Amino acid sequence: MARFVIGKIGQYAIVLWIAVTLNFALPRLMPGNPLALLAGEEPGMLTAQQRTQLMANVGLDQPLPAQYVRYLQNLARGDLGYSFQKNKPIATILADRLPWTLLLTVTSLLISTVLGVTLGAAAAWQRGGRRDVGLLGFFVFLESLPSFWVGMLLVALFAVQFPIFPTFGAVTPWMTLEGIAWVEDVARHLVLPLTTLTIVSVSGTFIVSRYSMLAVLGEDYISVARAKGLRERAVLFRHALRNALLPIATVFTLNLAFAFGGATVVETVFSYPGVGRLVYEAVLNRDYPVLQAAFLMITVMVVIANILADAIYPFLDPRVRHAQTRGGAQ
Amino acid sequence: MIWASLKRNPLGLVGLALLIAMLVMALGANWIAPYDPTRQTGEPFEPPSAAHWLGANDIGQDILSELIYGARISLLIGVLAAGIAMVIGTGVGLLAGYYRGAVGILLMRLVDVVLVIPFVPLMVLLAAYLGQNLWNLIAVIGLLIWARPARVIRSQVLSLAEREYVTAARAAGARDGHILIKHILPGVLSLALAQFVLATSSSILIEAYLSFLGLGDPTQKSWGAVLFYAQARNAFLSGAWVWWVIPPGLMITASVLGFALLGFALEEALNPRLKARAATTSWRAPTSPKAKPAVNKSPVSR
Repeated sequence: MARFVIGKIGQYAIVLWIAVTLNFALPRLMPGNPLALLAGEEPGMLTAQQRTQLMANVGLDQPLPAQYVRYLQNLARGDLGYSFQKNKPIATILADRLPWTLLLTVTSLLISTVLGVTLGAAAAWQRGGRRDVGLLGFFVFLESLPSFWVGMLLVALFAVQFPIFPTFGAVTPWMTLEGIAWVEDVARHLVLPLTTLTIVSVSGTFIVSRYSMLAVLGEDYISVARAKGLRERAVLFRHALRNALLPIATVFTLNLAFAFGGATVVETVFSYPGVGRLVYEAVLNRDYPVLQAAFLMITVMVVIANILADAIYPFLDPRVRHAQTRGGAQ
Repeated sequence: MIWASLKRNPLGLVGLALLIAMLVMALGANWIAPYDPTRQTGEPFEPPSAAHWLGANDIGQDILSELIYGARISLLIGVLAAGIAMVIGTGVGLLAGYYRGAVGILLMRLVDVVLVIPFVPLMVLLAAYLGQNLWNLIAVIGLLIWARPARVIRSQVLSLAEREYVTAARAAGARDGHILIKHILPGVLSLALAQFVLATSSSILIEAYLSFLGLGDPTQKSWGAVLFYAQARNAFLSGAWVWWVIPPGLMITASVLGFALLGFALEEALNPRLKARAATTSWRAPTSPKAKPAVNKSPVSR
């Protein structure tokens, strides 16, 4: 057990180290002026004071190892750098954007999990049947749709041709709404991006649910439950689905981590003010420090989610728990 | 053998038909396309007419011709990126499955690490740093999607390495390199083919995302790039979305779907582990039911 845990933690530590080091190395090793890459701005555009501040902060005049140590120290203090283009610390920018992103991605994740699990179980229950093949074909089709295209079509249809929903943003600009009116405004802005994101992400949950359901349905205890004369419904919900939920829980935890990264493409189409849109703006403006901070934040969330998933799994599944105590788990 | 089992899989046949259509378009673009898509042959924002079936874009280029030539770029990037991923993936899979000691463990740790790194933000980061150029794009996509195929191939190698003929070859004094290439590689080639087709499907979609975000090669217009310009010029705010937004999206969907359907069908036909089961169980199947299902496309790309 201890060896297993240490091995896992070591692996995640390596992931974090790679991400951090890549972030450190990219602006310094790329051709061009590292000062420009670190600032995300042409050095000529910076004031003398900003330039001194930046030089002092990253220690660009010192040898690389010293810069590396300083970089790690800054990170440890939660200092993600400064965006000269937006004139704000990047940590503040991310904190402003996160609530919008989470509203969009977490809501979508919940909807697609409920839909995906239900339909996945329904498909697996009649494996190979018409409903199964039909659902499978439909979801593989959804998986092939480019999200930005779905978004553009929804805007064209439901915001322009039939102006039911707003075309962009998260709230109506230049209006100070309060209470219920504000909630309603936010909800109206959320509908199209949420629909787009759910259309393109539901198939992942469906496919995982269907597969893990199929694996469970082949187990002996399902045959036993049936042989006992339990009703189909009881077998499906109490015996099969409960066990099939284990891998689904893992995937859910991992997706929750990616939720922090936002949905760059969907947020871009709808100009939704989340982290994903921030990444797009940073690409457009070559604001490298912001791009790097976003990448780092997502990596940290993914690692945390992986650790959580590993930690939760033994509690959900006694088989894993016993295998690990025996030291047999890989 | 492949054909025989493919024939019984209607979804696989649909995929094959879609791909043949795309391939014909890409190879015959010179003859099929009515105009040179890089030259101004119509009025800017021209609606569809007999001369320009899908109208013209913001600088008067024929949209239909853009789409036909776009097949070349999108397929080229997809196939080459998947090729890079397969060379690395097959190599790592072979070595990791054959050498089970320190080498194998180390390689599989590497695979796990690559699978955990959120690759879409990383790809955006790398593409932004390396600059927009066709070859950078191919390399970045290829270097980040090899881990999944590596895993699948390793599990096949694990079982092949136990076969009698491998043991016999080893007893006869054959070197490891000889055994790997002569005896084990042929056994995984068909599986690698299925993985290659699936990787091409992902690569085409990833390229479309990157191009849509303005990270594509500006001199080589893929379908994603056509949509980038349509979005930048607000095509969906006018009637132009019908001929400027719908067709390129359909092209992307059709080719991604085509490769995916064919890939799943091949996987089913060629993977002995899956063949034993019922006909439709293999879709996106992780190699073992207790294994963590690999999330192969992070939702960030959306």
